[in-house]
Amino acid sequence: MSRSQGAPAASLPHAPDFVLASRESGTIAVCFAAMASPCELLLETADTHAAAELGQLAAREAWRIEVKFSRYRPESIISVINRSQGHAVRVDVETAALLDYAASCHTLSGGRFDITSGVLRQCWTFDGSARLPDVAAVEALLPLVGWEKVRWRAPHITLPAGMEIDFGGFGKEYAVDRVLSLVTARFAGAALVNFGGDLAANRAPREAPWQVGVERPDSEREARLLLEFSQGGLATSGDSHRFLLRDGVRYSHILDAHSGWPVAQVPRSVTVAAGSCVEAGMLATFAMLHGGEAESFLAGQGVRYWCLRDAND
Amino acid sequence: MQLKRPPAQLHLGLMAASCALLSSTVRAQTVDDSGQPLQLDTDVLYYKENAGRVQTVEPVVSLKKDFGDLRTLDGTLTLDSLSGATPNGAIPARRPQTFASPSSTSLTPQPGKKTTLYTVAPGDLPQDPHFKEQRVAGDLDWSQPLGLDNTLSYGGHASSEHDFDSVAAHAGVSHDFNEKNTTVSAGVNEEYDRIHAHGGNPLPGSDYQLYEKESSQTKTVSGALLGVTQVMTRNWLTGLNYTFDHSRGYLTDPYRILSEVDAQGDAGGYLYERRPDMRTRQSLYWFNKLALGSPVLDLSYRRGKDSWGIASDTVDAHLRIDLGRGMYLEPHARWYRQTAADFYDLYLSAADPLPTYMSADPRLAAFAATTFGLKFGLSVGRNGELSLRLEQYQQRPSEQSSPLPLLQGLDLNPDLKATIVQLAWRVVF
Repeated sequence: MSRSQGAPAASLPHAPDFVLASRESGTIAVCFAAMASPCELLLETADTHAAAELGQLAAREAWRIEVKFSRYRPESIISVINRSQGHAVRVDVETAALLDYAASCHTLSGGRFDITSGVLRQCWTFDGSARLPDVAAVEALLPLVGWEKVRWRAPHITLPAGMEIDFGGFGKEYAVDRVLSLVTARFAGAALVNFGGDLAANRAPREAPWQVGVERPDSEREARLLLEFSQGGLATSGDSHRFLLRDGVRYSHILDAHSGWPVAQVPRSVTVAAGSCVEAGMLATFAMLHGGEAESFLAGQGVRYWCLRDAND
Repeated sequence: MQLKRPPAQLHLGLMAASCALLSSTVRAQTVDDSGQPLQLDTDVLYYKENAGRVQTVEPVVSLKKDFGDLRTLDGTLTLDSLSGATPNGAIPARRPQTFASPSSTSLTPQPGKKTTLYTVAPGDLPQDPHFKEQRVAGDLDWSQPLGLDNTLSYGGHASSEHDFDSVAAHAGVSHDFNEKNTTVSAGVNEEYDRIHAHGGNPLPGSDYQLYEKESSQTKTVSGALLGVTQVMTRNWLTGLNYTFDHSRGYLTDPYRILSEVDAQGDAGGYLYERRPDMRTRQSLYWFNKLALGSPVLDLSYRRGKDSWGIASDTVDAHLRIDLGRGMYLEPHARWYRQTAADFYDLYLSAADPLPTYMSADPRLAAFAATTFGLKFGLSVGRNGELSLRLEQYQQRPSEQSSPLPLLQGLDLNPDLKATIVQLAWRVVF
């Protein structure tokens, strides 16, 4: 399975453009687009000059991470690894830390979360249609899935030919946390980073906690989930428009890396608040992978969460 | 929405993995791969002791270049300029005492010899008023990862003064494990010093009147360090370091003498001090970094012990308080105490047999000391920081007087007070 990375970002500007907007009193928002998401940085300041500089910093960092790790970019380290045809690739410290993280998540999820499961996209297209893949086609791809087949001993990774990895499962959340830590190192006030609904904040503004609107994935209820949030990370995993519907059965885009088939009874969306955005995002993903047991899984984790299902689920 | 419950095992594991990911890459990465930052630190430290004693001005320039992937080069240049009066080790007396400055080659004017004398008034602590020293020191350190979980660092140091040259080298490795929550480190260092005092090195334990001087002497110091650092919780980092060092060679201070007094307390003469030619020191250092909400507390305790009989305890606390708008305040308190070296005494008694080792250096005496300070820091621009530190140091020796008739009422080892002012500027390019 893989969390949304969005459509291929064919042409990124050299540095994302951003706009400044004044929010509630004492807060400035810097908006830009990166990682196929609307991104914003909220700063508790009245200093537009400082906000613009921090916005630039945030946009450049988001762009750096996207360029470095996007599987759609041929020059990215991910593409280099995916093209390696069984040869060992030496990676830098940051990539190594992310691979370590992926390995930990694989272990913690009992193999359900797997950064090699992206090849299954070759036969699964979640476009809302009823086109299910051939059982044999899924079967044929399974030998190319499984982190345990990858040899990862820092700083070298060896990926068997034909296999692929991607950081779509936590790349954006990682960027959110990175940007927040860069901003916090240079800015004493309260700051919130929001990349398309995955967010992190260093602390609450003086006046009141951050008000966060989380998109509800179901079209019937347009109203957004409005949350109060002061610090840490908040992330949502959802299957909004990415599913298949056949014979009344909804096939979510959350794929089980073991079977190659969608996990059954997946919630429409799971939002988790945790210490950091990567942590929140991964808990939300783990919950989705638990399908019908998502709620009981989350209830055992000691975190704040919001789990949404269809009324008829 | 659910109530908060203690996190499950899985969540704890994920928390640890997430923290490891974010903390490792925060250190590793810069915003832009094309330009690795260059950090420039400059500061000027001014240190002044009370009663016209030593004062120093110490400008330091340090450059740190980050080559990415945790590879850093650190270079520091220090210039020291010391001046003022410094105690020579003799005690006050009821009559004037006359001494020769160290650069003298004879106590009495003679052809071909140099004599610079100074006389100390009755009751005053004998101090050499001509003390002046300049020192230049340079350090170069390299640090790089070794594999993913290890860091290798090595470096060198060299310094030069008119009467002292030193070269040193060190190397260390550290290893991270347990999801980078634990770091163990080990290091070794070796130092080689050459002592060539003004006017020659006096023969240790020799009579001051004889003015027996030798040519330069050497000393070597070998040391080792073992340490462990552990992330206990998200808000608490703790560590323990053990250091061991062994010095051998000329460990005597070439400028220190001792008064030799009779039963009345009258100084009949002076001897040059003499220290053992070996010293082993061990210390255990326990440090903590605690995030108390926004303020950060650094709290440490050090226990030291050496083969000369000096045992010491240090408790040190720094609290960093962010004031917002790029400003912070950092109060500092330090308490220190040590026992005296076995061979330390305020003076020698002429009636007693001459000890093998002897010194009246106040730094080897039993004393307690406190430091209180405050630092104020201010962000300048996006990448700069300016800080000002003010500190007051006070040292109180345990033994300051003598029951001998002529010495009664005299302060033989006065309190020391010092003021420290440091102005620092840091900028990252």
